[in-house]
Amino acid sequence: MAAEDESMVHALREKAAISGIGETAYTRGTTQSGLALQLEASLRAIDDAGLSPRDIDGVVPYFPGGGIAEDFIANLGLPDLALSAFIPMGGATCVAALQTAAMAVATGVCRNVLISVGRTGYSGARVSTRLQQFPQFALAAEFEAPIGMFAPAQLYAQGARRHMELYGTTTRHFAEVAVVTRQHAILNGNVVMNKPLTVEEHHASRMIADPFRLFDCSLESDGGAAVIVSASDRARDLKKPLVTIMGVAEGHPESPASIAQRPDLLEFGLAKAAPRAFGMAGVAPKEIDVAEIYDCFTFTVINQLELLGFCKKGEGGPFVMDGRIALGGDLPINTHGGLLSQGHVVGLNHVIELTRQLRRDAGKAQVKDAEVGLVTGYGDMGDGSVAILRRAA
Amino acid sequence: MSTAPTSTPPAPERPLPTPTRESQPYWDGLREGRLILQHCAKCEKARHYPRPICPHCFSMESTWREAPLAGRIHSWTVCHHPFNFFFKSMAPYVVALVDMEAGVRVNAPLRGMAEGTLKIGAPVRLAFEPVTKDVTLPYFVAA
Repeated sequence: MAAEDESMVHALREKAAISGIGETAYTRGTTQSGLALQLEASLRAIDDAGLSPRDIDGVVPYFPGGGIAEDFIANLGLPDLALSAFIPMGGATCVAALQTAAMAVATGVCRNVLISVGRTGYSGARVSTRLQQFPQFALAAEFEAPIGMFAPAQLYAQGARRHMELYGTTTRHFAEVAVVTRQHAILNGNVVMNKPLTVEEHHASRMIADPFRLFDCSLESDGGAAVIVSASDRARDLKKPLVTIMGVAEGHPESPASIAQRPDLLEFGLAKAAPRAFGMAGVAPKEIDVAEIYDCFTFTVINQLELLGFCKKGEGGPFVMDGRIALGGDLPINTHGGLLSQGHVVGLNHVIELTRQLRRDAGKAQVKDAEVGLVTGYGDMGDGSVAILRRAA
Repeated sequence: MSTAPTSTPPAPERPLPTPTRESQPYWDGLREGRLILQHCAKCEKARHYPRPICPHCFSMESTWREAPLAGRIHSWTVCHHPFNFFFKSMAPYVVALVDMEAGVRVNAPLRGMAEGTLKIGAPVRLAFEPVTKDVTLPYFVAA
């Protein structure tokens, strides 16, 4: 890292840390409610941090779905909750919540903020039903559902097609993301998809919304995940190696409620968030050892790699080839299996995996000597979020 | 009310728009077979989907003007998995995102053009399909 003038250092850099992580089994089929899954993961994260439920004084639950502040007070007996916040950014919520939590603990508003997700995406309501209930989807419900466009797979497919037409990106590139992600999933014991996937199997899977086939799409699965954010100076005394938040940012695209009207279908909130997060962290893309990229679709990974500055616009397809994003490559991606193969808990599993990597606790998927890593969130038709974490102890 | 297990399930219903105070003129236009778009009364820029304030000059005054039906393909998808039972019998269907001459985009089914012939920039024209007494939906055909 280049030497910097002290006065130029962002006030939030490394002031907050991930002190605890927890997750349930990722499955397809559960009898538990979304709230129960969320609370089970929360208890594990609290234990991982070496805290008691009574130490939690801020909650940022994924919404809609799962619990609200009242549920956490009632179930965990929280004595003095100082912050209750929702971040309605779809798949960008969890990483954006790191920013809210970091601000809360850095300023002393809270000591320990719990970010959590509980989801019954397989055994409960499916995506096209869930999304129509989001207030942010009001325009999509009025103008796009009646003409047969309901699901993110359909709405994002037009962007993927445009990228293919403009830059020559191919479904072979998409398949590479799916196949590598599956290879990583198999190394992690807690995944929904645990059998190898070949390029041929990807190409033969049924078409969902051209150019997306089944294996380009993330899973509809059940599970819960939770993360605790604490002030770095306090987290140092907790149970696990210190993993600090060097930089974090959220970004919102133009025409946020409708992809159709967006000036550039391939330019979304992450394009605004990435320079801010890298600036706060004081690092460049080449210094990232491992990246957990929100993978609602294979193409979404390719698109984000461009917006993050790992490659130029239009070059994301070739970038993912030749082992570059696999373990042992220049930039290992989604070392846990991601939303494509591990499970869909709105990307909080990506934050958990990056924390494990930086603790050097990632088992067979461990990236050697991982020091600095990056995690993104993407969702709500184009909101973006990104955090850069560092092993500080 | 009969709940006998032998009763046939009702046919799936088409999802219909619920026009708002902002969007009602757009839907009224479609019903009349016209593309009526909201324009800022002050800076005259067209905006879609309809909203109360012009994001360019912040004027709350707007007018509704008829716009040309011509446009060019910006991108497209072919929907195979229906996600909603109503569309099951129609799948696969092409949905084209089109840059309209007025400067806004319209997303609508594209009929009568083979998938392999679709290209960015290809000219298309907006057409109208009445689906209920009150609601007409847009679709595209080759220009």
